[in-house]
Amino acid sequence: MLFLEYFKLKGKQFLTLCYMIPLVFGGIMLSNGYLFTYGKRGFVTRFLIGHFPNLPADWFGGFGAVLFLMTFACTAHYMIFFRNAFKSIDFQTVEAARGLGASDFKILTKVVLPALKPILLTCIILLFQTGLMAMAAPLMVGGRRFETIGPLILTFTQRPASRMLAAVLSLFLGVFQLGLLFVIQRNERRGNYLSISKVKTTIEPTRIKQPLLNLGAHVVAYLFALINLLPLVVVVLFSFTDFKTISTRELHLNSFSLENYQRVLTDRSAYHPFLTSVVYAGLAAIAAVALMTIAARIIFKYRNRLTTVLEFLLYLPWILPGLMFALGLVLAYSRPRWIVFGHPLTGTLVIMLVAYIVVMLPNTFRFLKAAYFSVDTNLEDAAKNLGAKPIYSFVKIVLPIILPTILAMLALNFNGKLGDYDLSVFLYNPIAKPVGVVIRSNSNPEYGVDGIAINFVYSVILMVINALVLFFVYADGKTKIKQLFKKENKKSGE
Amino acid sequence: MITFKNIEIKYDDFVAVPNLSFAVNEGEFFTLLGPSGCGKTTTLRALAGFLKPTQGSIEIAGVDITAMPIDERQVGMVFQSYALFPTMSAYDNIAFGLKIAKKSKAEIDTRVLELAKMIDLTPEQLAKNVANLSGGQQQRVAIARALAKKPKILVMDEPLSNLDAKLRKSLRKEIKEFQKSFGITTVYVTHDQEEALMLSDRIAVFNKGQIEQIGRPQQIYNESATEFVCKFIGEANSLTAADLAKLGIEVSDASASDAFYVRPEKVSFSRTASAVNRIAGQIVGKEFYGMYGYYQIEIAGTKLISFQRESKAEQHRNGE
Repeated sequence: MLFLEYFKLKGKQFLTLCYMIPLVFGGIMLSNGYLFTYGKRGFVTRFLIGHFPNLPADWFGGFGAVLFLMTFACTAHYMIFFRNAFKSIDFQTVEAARGLGASDFKILTKVVLPALKPILLTCIILLFQTGLMAMAAPLMVGGRRFETIGPLILTFTQRPASRMLAAVLSLFLGVFQLGLLFVIQRNERRGNYLSISKVKTTIEPTRIKQPLLNLGAHVVAYLFALINLLPLVVVVLFSFTDFKTISTRELHLNSFSLENYQRVLTDRSAYHPFLTSVVYAGLAAIAAVALMTIAARIIFKYRNRLTTVLEFLLYLPWILPGLMFALGLVLAYSRPRWIVFGHPLTGTLVIMLVAYIVVMLPNTFRFLKAAYFSVDTNLEDAAKNLGAKPIYSFVKIVLPIILPTILAMLALNFNGKLGDYDLSVFLYNPIAKPVGVVIRSNSNPEYGVDGIAINFVYSVILMVINALVLFFVYADGKTKIKQLFKKENKKSGE
Repeated sequence: MITFKNIEIKYDDFVAVPNLSFAVNEGEFFTLLGPSGCGKTTTLRALAGFLKPTQGSIEIAGVDITAMPIDERQVGMVFQSYALFPTMSAYDNIAFGLKIAKKSKAEIDTRVLELAKMIDLTPEQLAKNVANLSGGQQQRVAIARALAKKPKILVMDEPLSNLDAKLRKSLRKEIKEFQKSFGITTVYVTHDQEEALMLSDRIAVFNKGQIEQIGRPQQIYNESATEFVCKFIGEANSLTAADLAKLGIEVSDASASDAFYVRPEKVSFSRTASAVNRIAGQIVGKEFYGMYGYYQIEIAGTKLISFQRESKAEQHRNGE
């Protein structure tokens, strides 16, 4: 990401799009795509063996493969956090260093990287956490001998006798996570990383002056982009092919058919998991955003001990690992409790929805609280002065201002849980299997080509939904399309 | 028309306004002038109803409004940031209060168009989102919105502070004209002395939550009641009786601690001056301000500042 953002590279828009792929094609879908592309009988593996016959067919497996997959899967984190931080660097500080005679390397190490230190550390820690708790990648490409804590907890949870062992392991994860958070906070407190410029200028990419280094940078950037792009292209292409092509991995012009899509869209057993995920992710996103819109408003308006405690409680799922939380739910609600009207929740349809909502709360709250902070308090005073009652001024004045954040959080939450596997695998009810869990099952060899074909279609549909939601809600796609039509009309008018 | 009686306003334990009493006449343009943190905005917000005084009472036309809800006070407010609703058009901003008052569509239309005409806003501009209007147009929309429900009083909290110097000057004139044409009692808050002098019928100069002087602009400037008012409202040469004696001016009944203030524009100098009260001095500092020069002159060991109009005929230099 530093490469892409800091240096001037040709075809940057294309590269950026490639690096954004894990935002719409992530988690279990990505693992599935990597397995089909780089796995034992994968597209790339067959190509490589054709050129290097001594290469073992299972080259993409074990620690290296998980590391490889996780590295590329996590570029999405960097895309969101690192890019914003990088763009907020004041370019005048770079120009000042250049004016004082600093070399490009010196500027990078002494001016740019120190300013990015907090976000780099946060990203590293976030990635560390993601890796520590990963489920899909270790299970799918890790192989039999590869064991990480996440899948181990899952195995122990599935047997009632060893649930306490699973609890101890997840507690260990929780303590570790708290330790990491402490490191982030201590690091942030230690120095000033905010720009003190009165008038900031936007950072501009630096040209690599040495031709050889420049070429090397381009090769690396495009190679990484290709690694990201290839599984996506393979999944999209093979989703439109027949069983035979998927089985042989040999593409011909007459291999293409809509058979897989027809099956997924017409066969109830094929589209049911998909609908289940849409309903769960949709309901959870709506509930989390609705709850946090109210909670963030209350906490923003009334600062007292009670709201401070409430805020801390809302951040709890962020501090505790998802696995620990899921296990906590399983253990806590396996017996009737008064808080859920005396019914056990474990194994019901509700428990996964509850878990989805709870894990969405911290981020939703954080962004909505920031949105409330950005609303000029005078607006409500002005409405009050003109005779508006608090609820009226909230609905008519505040809500339209924070609506973009509300929609963005709905989109991000919905996308985040649409293909979820890591949390769902602990809590799903067999009568309503979410698509993430089904993709994982389908990737088992016993499901054969049929499972792979359906997985491709699921992945493409999920990806299209993710991309559309992000485009329309997060990237203001409606306005962009309107502007495009306006331009076209102008051209035709001329 | 507006009467503040022994008003005290506290923020927790901090007393922002200790004991304030003053009155504003009907139709008057009354300015609360003072430095940041002196309590002028607090006083204004208490009048509008956003703050409740801990003691005392506020009356409008003899009616005690101290505990009256904001929307029943008939006080229209223009905010420092204008506080225009960013998701609405100029029309919807102006019509906001009328819609809440459940006026008919026809009534709203008539009133908004009438106001738009008065503030010189075209129907096309009215349809625009307020974010797409210029700073001056936004300010006029804010005034129109505050006046839409025909309030008895208009209060304005530093409405020109976010604008550049040129626009500020032209809008000052417009505000004065609006106030005259609407004939509405206006209470205006500013820290800008020039703005206060130019706009106001009367000014109350605030310092540490208390009024130092109330008076017409000329009175405030030329007959400042306190040292704070004199220095806050403009530049002044501060002299003791001894300084005056060195200049050949004798003041009877003056003690050593008495201070005398002379505005810089009252100190004039010339190579060929033949007027009375002429004393020889030397220019020890000069700054060029365009229309006039800012001079430091040393006369008999006393430094005086003087604003002197620059003319081609007589140019002065340092050391002269």
